[in-house]
Amino acid sequence: MNETVPSAEVDFPLLQDPTQPEMNGWLHRYERVVGPDTLRALEAIARRLKGHRIVMVNTTKTGGGVAEILHRLVVILNELGVPTTWEIMEGDDRFFGVTKKIHNALHGHSETLTAEDREIYMERTRREAKRLELDGDLILIHDPQPAGLVALRRAPGQRWVWRCHIDLSSRDPDHWEFLRPSVCQYDASIFSAIEFVPPLPIPTYLVPPSIDPFSAKNRDMEQDEVSSLMERLDLPRRGPWVTQISRFDRIKDPIGVIEAFRMVRARRRARLLLAGGGASDDPEGAQVLAEVREGAAKVKDVTILELPPGSDVEINALQRASTVVMQKSLREGFALTVSEALWKRRAVVASAVGGIPLQVLHERTGLLSRSIEGAALQTIRLLDNSDLRHELGAEGHAHVRDNFLHTREVRDYLAVFTSLL
Amino acid sequence: MTDTGFRFSTVAHLEYPAGPVATDLATLREGIATVPPGSLFHHIIRMVVRHPRAHDLPPNDFARWVGVALQDPETAERLAFAGTQPLLPMEELRVSLLRILDDVAGRKRPDIGTPQTAAFHFVTARSVKAPLGLEAELPEQVPEVWRQVDSAAAFYHLIEARVLGPVEDDLVLWLERNGGSKLAGVAESLTMGGMPLLRLHREIGSRWRRALIPARLVRRTEESESVRRQEARAVVARFAGRLRKTPQDGKG
Repeated sequence: MNETVPSAEVDFPLLQDPTQPEMNGWLHRYERVVGPDTLRALEAIARRLKGHRIVMVNTTKTGGGVAEILHRLVVILNELGVPTTWEIMEGDDRFFGVTKKIHNALHGHSETLTAEDREIYMERTRREAKRLELDGDLILIHDPQPAGLVALRRAPGQRWVWRCHIDLSSRDPDHWEFLRPSVCQYDASIFSAIEFVPPLPIPTYLVPPSIDPFSAKNRDMEQDEVSSLMERLDLPRRGPWVTQISRFDRIKDPIGVIEAFRMVRARRRARLLLAGGGASDDPEGAQVLAEVREGAAKVKDVTILELPPGSDVEINALQRASTVVMQKSLREGFALTVSEALWKRRAVVASAVGGIPLQVLHERTGLLSRSIEGAALQTIRLLDNSDLRHELGAEGHAHVRDNFLHTREVRDYLAVFTSLL
Repeated sequence: MTDTGFRFSTVAHLEYPAGPVATDLATLREGIATVPPGSLFHHIIRMVVRHPRAHDLPPNDFARWVGVALQDPETAERLAFAGTQPLLPMEELRVSLLRILDDVAGRKRPDIGTPQTAAFHFVTARSVKAPLGLEAELPEQVPEVWRQVDSAAAFYHLIEARVLGPVEDDLVLWLERNGGSKLAGVAESLTMGGMPLLRLHREIGSRWRRALIPARLVRRTEESESVRRQEARAVVARFAGRLRKTPQDGKG
C-alpha cells in the first residue's frame, strides 16, 4: 500500500530536504495555519535560549509516535535558532524485549522483571552511555528505555529532563521501583497529562503531545484522492461510515465498538469500519483480531481492515471518509487519533478516558460516552444531525489548531528549557 | 512624553500539578480553598488562552468537571457564572466559588462522587515571559503595535499582569499613567466582558484605532501636503495587501 503515498509532500522533511527551503521552511508552512504572530512569539521565547544546545534521545528513528514527533520538533527547534540534535540509543532484541516488558508493565499489564532482565537493561545502558554524543546543555530523554543514561553521563552544569509519553496511572509497582531511582536523578520530568503523573521528588511539567498538520496522516486531501484510496482499499464509497482506527488491542474495546454499532445498525443505515494494525508481530493482537472478526461476522455492514505499518495516507483518507469517528477505548494514553480526526473536522464519539477529555469537550468539540449504549446513542445523534456534526467539527478543528499542533508543543518545550537553563 | 515606554512580551504557560485531587463536591471545595491563586487563575481565567477562537467560551474547568463527571448541571452552571469576570481579584473569586459549593452542600443529597479515573486534578502554571522586541513610547503608538502581538501576549498584558502582576506589565495601568486614559477605558471595559480572546484582541485594536481618529485628523491638518500624500499611499498599500492575503480560516 505504500506505493499510493505521494512523494515529497508526505515524507518527513529533513534539514537537507531539497524540496524544502533551507531557512524557515517548516515554520513558514506553519505560519499559514497558526498565523505570523504565533511564530513571532515562538521566536521571542527561543531567543531566550541563545547559546544553549539541546540533545534529544530516544530509541528509534522511525515508527511510533515519539519518533514521528521528534522528526518535526528537531527541525522546528533548529529553525527557531535553538541548536538541537537527536541521538538514538541502540539495542538488541534482548534489550528491547526487556524494555517492552517494562513498557507494558508501566501501562498496567502484569509482567515479571527478573534479575537477568535488569542486568540486560543496565548492561546496554552502560554500553550506550559510552557511545552517545550527549554534550548539550540540556538533555531531553524520551521514555523509559534510555532513562538510565542520566546516572552515567550527566556532566557538571548540564540539565537532564525525562519526558514520559506513557500513562503511568496504572503502573506495576515493581517495574516502577526499578525505574524510579533513575528518574529521580533528573532535574525535571514531563508528562502528557496530569492523570499520568506518579509521585516524584523532582519538578514535573505537563506538556500534551501534538500532531503535525502537514504529515501524511493529516495533510489536506482532495475528495478525489479520498475516493480513489477508498476504492483501492475495496471499501464502498456509500456510507455513512462509522470508523474506529486503532490497533487491535483489548483496551481499545473493538468488541464494544461492534456491540455499539449493532445497536446503531438496528435503528439506522450505516457501515462500520474497524481498521488498525498491531496484529502481525503481536500474538495478543492476532488473538484480538480473530475475536473481532468473529464478532463482526454476526453484525451486518461491518468491515475489518488490517493496516500494515506506514499506512498513514490510508488512515488520513479513512478518517476523512468517515461520518463519525469513534474512539471507544477502555483506557488510553493521550489518544492523538482523536486530535487527528478533529483536525479533519470529523464528528467524534469517544470515551472519557486518558487524554481524550482534553481533546473532546463534550457537546463542543465532540461527544463523550461512558458505556456501549452511550456510544450508540451519541453515534445515532451525529448520524441524524449534520448541523451538529459540522458545528462540532469546526470547533474541534479550532481547538486542535490552538492546543494540539506541534507549534504549541514546541512553545511548551521552550518554556521548560528556559526555566531550567 | 512618558517616563518609560511600554515593552510587549509574550508568555508561555508552564503547567504543573498543584497537588489536590477532587472526586466529589466536598473534595473540590477543599481543593479550591487551599490551592494557590495561580491554580484558580489557571482553571478559570486562563480558559480564554486555551480557547482563543471559540465562538462562545466553554465553562471553566471546575464547572465543566462538575457538569460532565459529577453530572450536576445546576452546580456546574453556578460555578460557570462565577468565573465569567476575568479581572476579579483571585481571593474574591475563591470566596464566590466556595459560597456556591457551601450553598449546594447545605441543600443537596449526599455527594455521589466519581471514580478515581475521572477525578479532577488541580493544575497550576508559571508564566515564562519573553520580550517580543516591540515597544510603544506613547499611548497613541499602542494600537499599531497591538496588531503584531500574539493572543498570549494580549492575555498577559490585559488580564494576567492586571490580576497577578507584575504591575509594570499591566498595559491598562501604563496607559492610564501616561495620558492614554481613553484607550485604557476601552481596554478595561471590553476585558471585563469576558469575551473569547481573539475577539477581545481584535475588538480592542479596532476600538482603539477608532478612538484615535479625531486626534489623528487634527495632527494631519498640521502636516505638510507631501506627508499627507505619503500616509494616504501607505493606507492604500495596506488595504491592497489585505485584499491579496489568502484567508486563513478556510485552510485545514
